[in-house]
Amino acid sequence: MTAASRIYDSGYRRYDGARLGPAHAFRAVVTHTLQRVFGLHRPARTKVLPILATAIAYVPAAVFVGLAAFLPRQLSENALPTYGDFYGFITAAVLLFVVFVAPEAMCPDRRSGVLSLYLAAPLTRSRYLAAKATAIFIALLFVTLGPPLLLLVGLSLQNSGPKGPAGLALILLRIVGSGAMLAAFFSALSVAASSLTDRRAVASAGTFGFVFAVNAVTAVLVFGAKAPDWVLALSPSRGPFELTRRIHGEPPLQDFHAGTAALAGAALAWFLIGAALAWHRYRSLQVTR
Amino acid sequence: MPTVVDASDVVKRWGKTTALDRATLKIGAGVTGLLGANGAGKTTFIGLVLGMHRADGGALRVLGMDPWADGLAVRAQVGYAPEHDALPPDVTAHDLVRHLAQVHGLPRREATARASDVLYELGLGEERFRQIGTMSTGQKQRVKLAQAISHDPELVLLDEPTNGLDPVQRDEMLALVRKVGHELGINVVLSSHLLDEVERVSDAVVILDAGRAVAGGTIGELGRTGDAELLVEIDGRGSRRLVDDLARAGVAAVIDGDRVVVALESDRVYDLVRDALAAADLGVRRLQRRRTSLEDVYLSAGDGAA
Repeated sequence: MTAASRIYDSGYRRYDGARLGPAHAFRAVVTHTLQRVFGLHRPARTKVLPILATAIAYVPAAVFVGLAAFLPRQLSENALPTYGDFYGFITAAVLLFVVFVAPEAMCPDRRSGVLSLYLAAPLTRSRYLAAKATAIFIALLFVTLGPPLLLLVGLSLQNSGPKGPAGLALILLRIVGSGAMLAAFFSALSVAASSLTDRRAVASAGTFGFVFAVNAVTAVLVFGAKAPDWVLALSPSRGPFELTRRIHGEPPLQDFHAGTAALAGAALAWFLIGAALAWHRYRSLQVTR
Repeated sequence: MPTVVDASDVVKRWGKTTALDRATLKIGAGVTGLLGANGAGKTTFIGLVLGMHRADGGALRVLGMDPWADGLAVRAQVGYAPEHDALPPDVTAHDLVRHLAQVHGLPRREATARASDVLYELGLGEERFRQIGTMSTGQKQRVKLAQAISHDPELVLLDEPTNGLDPVQRDEMLALVRKVGHELGINVVLSSHLLDEVERVSDAVVILDAGRAVAGGTIGELGRTGDAELLVEIDGRGSRRLVDDLARAGVAAVIDGDRVVVALESDRVYDLVRDALAAADLGVRRLQRRRTSLEDVYLSAGDGAA
């Protein structure tokens, strides 16, 4: 055998290398879940929805950057949206992502039974759930943080961005805060909905139905039954997006009189309720007996 | 033989149902069959070994550790193939096995290489990039086995691995189980309610009945419990005379149908039986030392527990 030749034995070998700890298992679940959500290593049909949602989320930012690049003279001073207003253009993409990401990440593990294999590995139920929630949070950041960041970078390169390093840092901080808040809020809600069923379609429909049903109820209560203004903050589709405007220092929308504290409190309350429900469901889930 | 699992008076209740009732057993190296009827407590015991449940009483050690307190460490060294469906249909076998090896602590590069190696070893080399949902039941059972051993565990727990397989697939799976235990050097606990498959591949057996370990030991030890009998079939009449002659020589014997069952207390009994047959001029159709099969032990253990 020459120095350049090798014999490759494809049979079973004992393994005496490094065995990494629970943090490695956590990262493996996060990575695998993200690949699943975005359709990587999976059939072409599973890539359609992520690509569609991504396109809807990024097209507005790309259009505004393109307008700033190619029609700078034709754009009036107020033609570009503020960063606070920008979320109005991507609300549909965010909600589309929300209703499919968590069900895709969580329901198949229970439906196929692979959850029992995860829990027979160096993972506890809480770490498994935290890994799944982390993956969902990162996936949602892709549409809540990515588009405004693209807008910021694109406009800054066209000299239409914030003035000076301090202005840039402030906007960047507000974008990160808004994106993280939206991702965390919708992660908790969609994880909770997905913990209640092992069918993806039911979880998606449940998440969608919950968001719009509560939105309708709060609107009727405030505008029809003259309930206090803070009730509108409970709307899971309007409340968090209004909060992003406040984070960016924008004035409230015309019909939205709930205070910023009420908006933040409502978002925190929904987050905690969602997280507690999901945790309770997974803690009591019977995997093997 | 080193003890892999050591259970002492283990109790586990599900509500008002007692799944394990002061079960005491030891599982050593090699392939051990965990035998019992459906509902005997096999799956519950496996859940306790994995640290998925907490025992309500008794002491349990797995690889020298408490599986409830040291669950992460135990599960890093244990593989598990459940009885129920546990495979995602829209993932390839290779991706699943690699991912679960990573979850068990192997670095990505090692996990990738080992996933291919294990699937080759189990006869799925050409199929490893197929989606699991398109595979046959036999192939899926192999994928379950592959993911259970891909991280090179000290112990692998196989819960009814031949469920749903046809006879040919079943033989192949049992051959693989034997290979895992004897050639790959991984300790195996094979849970099954099928006596013959446990007998075929196991070095030792633990019999569970209604949550209690009612018998246990190596196949040889369990078989030896029935060695102390000699069956004699007489050609024609004469059984009664043989029993009487043996009794006069101090050897206990009884008539059982058309056979005489002689207590085989020592090798001298062979000579006494030969002499008695010759003195009475009796022809012998059959002379056999009776070996108790695992089935006898299983049935008598169940009767005893009942």
